[in-house]
Amino acid sequence: MFTTRRAVALLKVFLAVLFAVLVLFQVMSLPGQFRSMAEQSPEDAWLRWPLTAITVFWVLCIQVVVVCVWKLLTRVRDDRIFTEESLVWVDVIVWAIGAGWIVLVGVLGLVGFNADDPGLPLLLFLLTVGVTVVGLLMLVMRALLRQATALRTDMEAVI
Amino acid sequence: MPIVVRIDLELAKRKMSVGEFAERVGLTPANVAVLKNGRAKAVRFSTLEAMCRVLDCQPGDLLEWVDD
Repeated sequence: MFTTRRAVALLKVFLAVLFAVLVLFQVMSLPGQFRSMAEQSPEDAWLRWPLTAITVFWVLCIQVVVVCVWKLLTRVRDDRIFTEESLVWVDVIVWAIGAGWIVLVGVLGLVGFNADDPGLPLLLFLLTVGVTVVGLLMLVMRALLRQATALRTDMEAVI
Repeated sequence: MPIVVRIDLELAKRKMSVGEFAERVGLTPANVAVLKNGRAKAVRFSTLEAMCRVLDCQPGDLLEWVDD
């Protein structure tokens, strides 16, 4: 339990740092990146806003996951993780990953059919596989949480 | 639930109060109430053992099967 508490505290610090970096990406790096790309190649300048919107949306999905993990960690610390309310946050994580995944698959399809070199589609494919694995893993962990919650509820009715 | 916990009877025989029983067994009075009115889903062997020790009786004196 002591190790868990320390790990949770440390994790929260890193989650806060991660969130700050993501915000930085969202408001400065990504829009700036696409602005300079639009200036460098004016023939692709129309891509600037769609690409900005999509990437900012992906970062938003990651932010949602970070916030949910934070909330769940608080529940772990307070020994309230094996309750029905925890599932709400896990559901939000699953939905956020799902939303990001759908957009990612769409982008992969568009880029895959229009690309002349395999670099970018391959990278996007790798990313899609990664997100798929993470999403499915979340579904398995969600089922495990459900099982553990049922067990805990049963045990609490034992005198 | 066809299993009935007969604590009241044993307590009455020994003229022991519910509060004293709860304290000596190490249960909360709320859980003793749950046992008495038949809302308990299960009883740990360790709890059963403590109840038998305090009341100086056998598990069979506390548990009764009633066909419903």
